[in-house]
Amino acid sequence: MSSQGSNNKVGSVLVVGAGIGGMQASLDLANAGFKVYLVERSPAIGGVMSQLDKTFPTNDCAMCTLAPRMVECGSHINIEKLTYSEVESIEGEPGAFKVRVRKKARSVKADQCTGCGECMANCLVRNRAYVEPAEPEPLELTPGELSEVNRILAEHEGERGSVLPILQDINARYKWLPPGAMRHVSEAVGIPLSRVLRIATFYNVFSLEPRGEHIIRVCLGTACHVKGGSRILESLERELDVQAGRTTGDRRFTLEAVRCLGCCGLAPVVTIDEDVYGKITPQKIVKALDKYPA
Amino acid sequence: MAKLRPEDLDKITERMKKVMSLREGSGRAKITIHMGTCGISAGARKIMSAVIECVSELDTGDIIITSSGCAGLCSKEPMMTVELEGQAPVKYIDLTEEKVNKIFTEHVMGGKIVADYALAIGSEQAL
Amino acid sequence: MKKSRMHLMLCAGTGCVSNGSFRIKADLEQELGKHELQDEIAVVMTGCNGFCAQGPVMVVQPDNIFYQLLSEKDIPHLVEEHFLKGRPVKRLMYTPSLEKAPVPKMSEIDFFEKQRLIALRNRGMIDPEKIEEAIARGGYRALARALTSMTSQEIIQTVKDSGLRGRGGAGFPTGRKWESAASHHSKEKYIICNADEGDPGAFMDRSIIESDPHSVLEGMAIAGKAVGAGQGYIYIRTEYPLALQRLNLAIKQAMEYGLLGHDILGTGFDFDISVFRGAGAFVCGESSALRASIQGDPPEPFSKQVHATEKGLWEKPTVLNNVETLAIVPEIIKRGAGWFSQIGTETSKGTKVFALVGKVRNTGLVEVPMGITLREIIFDIGGGMENGKAFKAVQTGGPSGGCIPASLLDLPIDYERLTEVGSMMGSGGMIVMDEDNCMVDVARYFLEFLRSESCGKCTACREGVDAMYRIVTDICDGKGNQGDIQLLEELSQAVKDGSLCQLGATASNPVLSTLRYFKDEYETHINEQRCPAGVCRALITYTIDAEKCNACLLCVKNCPQQAISGEKGKPQTIDQEKCIKCGVCRDVCRSEAVTVQ
Repeated sequence: MSSQGSNNKVGSVLVVGAGIGGMQASLDLANAGFKVYLVERSPAIGGVMSQLDKTFPTNDCAMCTLAPRMVECGSHINIEKLTYSEVESIEGEPGAFKVRVRKKARSVKADQCTGCGECMANCLVRNRAYVEPAEPEPLELTPGELSEVNRILAEHEGERGSVLPILQDINARYKWLPPGAMRHVSEAVGIPLSRVLRIATFYNVFSLEPRGEHIIRVCLGTACHVKGGSRILESLERELDVQAGRTTGDRRFTLEAVRCLGCCGLAPVVTIDEDVYGKITPQKIVKALDKYPA
Repeated sequence: MAKLRPEDLDKITERMKKVMSLREGSGRAKITIHMGTCGISAGARKIMSAVIECVSELDTGDIIITSSGCAGLCSKEPMMTVELEGQAPVKYIDLTEEKVNKIFTEHVMGGKIVADYALAIGSEQAL
Repeated sequence: MKKSRMHLMLCAGTGCVSNGSFRIKADLEQELGKHELQDEIAVVMTGCNGFCAQGPVMVVQPDNIFYQLLSEKDIPHLVEEHFLKGRPVKRLMYTPSLEKAPVPKMSEIDFFEKQRLIALRNRGMIDPEKIEEAIARGGYRALARALTSMTSQEIIQTVKDSGLRGRGGAGFPTGRKWESAASHHSKEKYIICNADEGDPGAFMDRSIIESDPHSVLEGMAIAGKAVGAGQGYIYIRTEYPLALQRLNLAIKQAMEYGLLGHDILGTGFDFDISVFRGAGAFVCGESSALRASIQGDPPEPFSKQVHATEKGLWEKPTVLNNVETLAIVPEIIKRGAGWFSQIGTETSKGTKVFALVGKVRNTGLVEVPMGITLREIIFDIGGGMENGKAFKAVQTGGPSGGCIPASLLDLPIDYERLTEVGSMMGSGGMIVMDEDNCMVDVARYFLEFLRSESCGKCTACREGVDAMYRIVTDICDGKGNQGDIQLLEELSQAVKDGSLCQLGATASNPVLSTLRYFKDEYETHINEQRCPAGVCRALITYTIDAEKCNACLLCVKNCPQQAISGEKGKPQTIDQEKCIKCGVCRDVCRSEAVTVQ
């Protein structure tokens, strides 16, 4: 800071990033009498917070926190905003430094612009996105898969909150969630793909990549852990030369570590497909693999 | 299946009683057929069937039928022991299906020991 | 219908099925057929019997003889000897220890003797796939009474008087929950049965559903009547396929009999139940996350300023109860609040089902009155430690609970006492650990679990648990620093304070409780770079005792790294450079020559 070692309010301060933190810092400094340069890479100040609804931990409304600071920053006499700009280099030391900032072309005269928005409304490039929606990418589903997914969708027609059961059925059918199927579900149910993905990635049963012919689940519940479940997993990892959560090159096995299969009395437990192997040892489980052909 | 009324629950219970009482191991009477190799060759299987027949006809749930090993008196096979609740067990010998029927009506149902067929009342003392 | 003289109650719980009980059933039927006994003797597939360690198990009724560890090759002999000739087979009976005689009767086996069954009242007694058998054992009587001769207030009052508290972990009084939901007016209300049994090491909910699904359905319908709800959901883990199947069948049968659905028992009360399958997320056992999951939202817990009994599922008053809680309710209605409240302790009434697992001889499910001591459970019912090792600790309450050391073995169990000693009741998992278990490693295990199961919404939980995990992992790897213990304690508090739901708020319990009772183990790891239990890999070495080694070369054959070598017929040695400390050599060695330090 430029006032290092003295109380004289001289010089100026550079704040990089005009998110909520950057703005608050700028306001505090500006109110304390410093000249502030506020550099922001995007065309507007405000940062990510404008996209949030509530904030942790108080559940305060994000916009209510953000908006007054944006207005104040925008009009503060001591804050010079360098939006759509990037810091290229900094030389010197705290209190005496030179900064090169590249201000990108806006192609709009900022001091004359009234913010009427006409240019946006009339922009051909932007408008085109609305007038002619881009062709949806072709579904990577074969006709057979498509009808299968449609059948599953039809079964859950009219159920409230049915995304999870639909995805479960697709996952059960294909052992994973093909991207095309997820896109199709998103369109059919009318919820954004991002939300479908969020659900698909939250739960452990879903796989976003194809899985092997046989699925090996090694239980790592507490009872299995204290009885050496992780050593069973390691011996399988060595034997199959594949990490937990992955599928062997020949797609014969997928190896998974799971949390408690509820057979704690038989710990350590491994399941291969529907077969349960209790009180297993590394040697026995490796032998059991032969029963499952490619 | 017709929809149930509250009182139907009792009916189902009554109907299932003969199945369920068996699992609870409690009953008014316990009939033991001695099914050692000797007993079986002397026809204990037929006796068993006859007993089951009798109990099934009666449609009751409070009689337990069980089998046990050779009673040690192979010459008098087939044998069975009838034990009514609170009474000493009675051993019957040289049984036939007709005898079983009689024992069943008179002793098991009527509570009167059929002395003609009985070997002894009470069981051997275990050391 | 011809009367069978004998019923073979063969356990078809998940544990026994995995040990082949369906194959045994097929063999039994075949053998019975050979001796023409098929009409006299019935094979009944029951739900989990609870004594999972000895599976597959079978109880022969009416003689009450308990057979265990059955295999297909035992069947011909068993059928001929016992079922035909009436001579029970001693070899297949439970034997408490080598010196003792086999115990033929199930009721005399120490594992069953001290148990008192309420929630598990029908286990092993009925075929869970036949509703008539459930009814014959008194099923749906309580519902009939609740619908015909009790008002909603009376039901709630009875449950309140009984002192029943939630069996899912937190122990909230069930009656008060119902009362609150009943007091809010709404056309739609919901009853949710929480069968998302996520705690590793607990499986009583699975067992109850597999052995007696109707008790849960009945409990839900009674709850529905009490609070005025017409719809119930059962949220069940996807990892429990057998339970799911039996539940669906039970609902179907109950619908056919008019015990669920429209106009139940002709009383005009409607109650439907839908089954909702989980998809493998631990946090879904948390009530607000579970509701979000049913609604199709990302299952993240949210702030519960408004109670679910006012605005829960779909913004309607909702009661969420655990499987075990609901299974107990019908017995309370049937036998009265007074009967229930005389069992247990001052604050915790009734019985609790525990999943007794880990390094104990008799693993399985046990239902015991509250107030019983840990010692009674582990040493009397559980038969003591496996392989004669010394008891070190018992972990209760799943990832939210803690480890209880040997000095507290005489602690009577109830909600308050467990919380006082730094653990909790939780769902009732009880994992017994012996001297070979490293408590730092156990803490690391739970942190790893919670780290991957944290939904990530609250920074304190997401980052805090991860930070704790990294510190504890460093300690296990011998890279611990002075001050780590203090840092862990500080972080624990921060995570507790900064988390919305109980997953985060209790996440530090495994660390805090191991620190409280086993601080010396942490200190040994940090100060001496040594793992006393021989678990933490970076701190141990495997060596072969030259005096014990008989040069059988089994270890050489099995070593994945070819790290063991030596001359033929002479003791072998381990190349420490190559050794990855997998422990295979120690497992295969028959002369206990491989030691770990």
